[in-house]
Amino acid sequence: MKQEVLRAWDMPWLPIVALILFVVFFGAYVFWAYRKKNQTLFQKISMIPLEDAPQIKKGSHNEAR
Amino acid sequence: MSSVTRDRGSQSPETFSYDDTIVKWFVIATVAWGAVALLLGVTIAFQMAHWKVNLDLPWLTFGRLRPLHTNAAIFAFCGNAIFAGIYYSHQRLLKARLYSDLLSKIHFWGWQLIIVSAALTLPFGITTGKEYAELEWPIDIAITVIWVVFAVNFFGTIIRRRERHIYVAIWFYIATILTVAVLHIVNSLELPVSFLKSYSLYAGVQDALVQWWYGHNAVAFFLTTPFLGLMYYFIPKAVNRPVYSYRLSIIHFWSLVFIYIWAGPHHLLYTTLPEWAQTLGMVFSVMLWMPSWGGMINGLMTLRGVWHKVRTEPSVRFMATALTFYGMATFEGPLLSIKSVNAIAHFTDWIPGHVHAGTIGWNYMLIAGILFYLVPKLWNTELYSKKLGHQQFWFATIGLVMYVVSMWIAGISQSLMWSAMDDAGKLVYPNFVETVIKITPMYWMRAIGGTFVLISFVMMIFNLYKTAKSGKVEEITYEAYPIDDSSLEPNATPHRVLEGLPMIFSVLSLLAILVGSAIEIVPSLLADQYVVKVSAIKPYSPLELYGRDIYVKEGCYTCHSQTVRPLGHEVVRYGKASTAAEFVYDHPFQWGSKRTGPDLARVGGKYPHMWHYKHFWDPREVTAGSLMPRYHWLFDQKIPFNDIAPRMRVMQKLGVPYSDEEIQGASLSARTQAKEIAQELVQSGVPAKIENMDVVALIAYIQRIGVDYGSIEDDLVAGDQETVVEEAE
Repeated sequence: MKQEVLRAWDMPWLPIVALILFVVFFGAYVFWAYRKKNQTLFQKISMIPLEDAPQIKKGSHNEAR
Repeated sequence: MSSVTRDRGSQSPETFSYDDTIVKWFVIATVAWGAVALLLGVTIAFQMAHWKVNLDLPWLTFGRLRPLHTNAAIFAFCGNAIFAGIYYSHQRLLKARLYSDLLSKIHFWGWQLIIVSAALTLPFGITTGKEYAELEWPIDIAITVIWVVFAVNFFGTIIRRRERHIYVAIWFYIATILTVAVLHIVNSLELPVSFLKSYSLYAGVQDALVQWWYGHNAVAFFLTTPFLGLMYYFIPKAVNRPVYSYRLSIIHFWSLVFIYIWAGPHHLLYTTLPEWAQTLGMVFSVMLWMPSWGGMINGLMTLRGVWHKVRTEPSVRFMATALTFYGMATFEGPLLSIKSVNAIAHFTDWIPGHVHAGTIGWNYMLIAGILFYLVPKLWNTELYSKKLGHQQFWFATIGLVMYVVSMWIAGISQSLMWSAMDDAGKLVYPNFVETVIKITPMYWMRAIGGTFVLISFVMMIFNLYKTAKSGKVEEITYEAYPIDDSSLEPNATPHRVLEGLPMIFSVLSLLAILVGSAIEIVPSLLADQYVVKVSAIKPYSPLELYGRDIYVKEGCYTCHSQTVRPLGHEVVRYGKASTAAEFVYDHPFQWGSKRTGPDLARVGGKYPHMWHYKHFWDPREVTAGSLMPRYHWLFDQKIPFNDIAPRMRVMQKLGVPYSDEEIQGASLSARTQAKEIAQELVQSGVPAKIENMDVVALIAYIQRIGVDYGSIEDDLVAGDQETVVEEAE
């Protein structure tokens, strides 16, 4: 059923455009992720969950939400 | 890099507190609704093992409870867990209190109200009849409003953050919020008939395409991406180690959001597109393994050096097991999308087995791990009993294995029995109920396995309750510097700058999703242009239309499909393979996804009215060994003849070619057809008053299914003969 509908589908360029976009973007972020220059930065970023904000006693600094 | 650790000169840090009250509320809602969802699951599991568990009560039948179970598990249990985990981690990763306490409260109570609305409507048969999107239009609107409230609160917190970098977990949250909004709105487009009744904007094949674009991606962006975000925060916290590879997490994120949403076409590509397109779909299904397993490996490898905690810490044990099941489920999913495997598995119990390996193995296990970390932190205490936590783990694991293995056995048995043919080309098991009786022991095993999982959940509730009770809550204040240009290191890369611009980052994420969506949703939305309209296919009569609404109301689609696949054994068993033209007036489509009972696409005219009458009174009267519940109430509820015209009017607006005269005469037409059916029944000894009862309308609809298509085939044959005659002349 889907076959008979999609067989008549006349936009075969659509998946091809998406495939090209995917390949280009995939290449770009793999390049960016594995750039040697970014290694130190990523190591620092990965520590964010472990770096809790320091706890203090209430009212000792500027109050903000 | 933390802004606190940087030299800010004379700048003073700001003090703030986190809104953990809202996190606690969502935690409590998670365990409460989780218990409800599992209790419902166990109930319907026993109903499938023995029909008497339906208790002859309309609001307790399988067809009505099954949608409630799926909605409770996905949106109530997992939904509340997502909100609890996101609100806890989001504040800490951004070093900022949630944007608005008021919005948080509206979000919480609004979401609980939606869940209660689901619990008050689905058991009473108030449903759209679209799997995993059964809630009626007022609740759909409420979901949209509350989701927007959540999004404003979420993005508002990002704007007021004190940490410039947006950690990868938050990327997953952003993808979730944006994609769920798109999925929900597109799939829920419907036209109301009344306050609690609507018809889908889409029909037949188009409705199926949109629905399964939603269904596939609801799993991706409600049960996967938010939990991966939670995994990237809570596993490092639980073991006090950074994620194994932040680089891998970047590739994991972008690959997953890009591929997942457009891997959906593998559902469409099954026996659909030309060969090159099928190959493309197959490749992308296989590609989906990479980001899925990349995430799993990243999570598991984060445990390097602390594997002993899997033995000693219940939270870590649950998280590690969740990742293992995530790896198994994301291997099985693409496997099932392969054409030859799908031919075996589709419509069988293998699919619920696969789904529960994901929802129990991945979602429940990860939620349990997060709660064992979160509750002691929130209530400032230690876990009440690690031993109880480990016992819970074994109950859950054994129960899940019993569930999955029994469904594998049942599914493969069903498939082999359905397709078994002898040397003469005849079905070895022509009577469908034979295959049901054969796998009933597996249904018992599944129900027992589910009970084990429920017991494990009750153990967790007790453990968490005792933990919270022993705790003492204190108001804690934190400090952090506000972000400004000094928080961005010199020579920052473009992506680093981009991460500091959350709105642009969100737009790029949305674009990644929309590009993938285009592959599936564009042909879906345009599908009706490609369906050949055939004059022999007529709209349902007024009585049949109302009968169809009863079919939807009772959730018949949860056990019966309405589509014959072009497979030899299916054509032999049911009749001609289904065609798109048959469903152009079906708002919504009712193809179903599971065959606990036989397919009904060719049931019209197959049996006399009396057979159906007896079948709805007690299925065992005509089919020994049937698991179907009795529908006694259909024999007592009167047909609302005067309410049929408004339904036809809405159908007319949706493109169904009812004339104004037909709509005006709907009541009379329905009464006349009901009388005709009743006369045949009365001749067999049924009381005359039956002509006004719902069961007659349902029989009218059942007797109509697939009938028009028969006349199409005759016309084509006749047409071919005429052509042959003309050529001869």
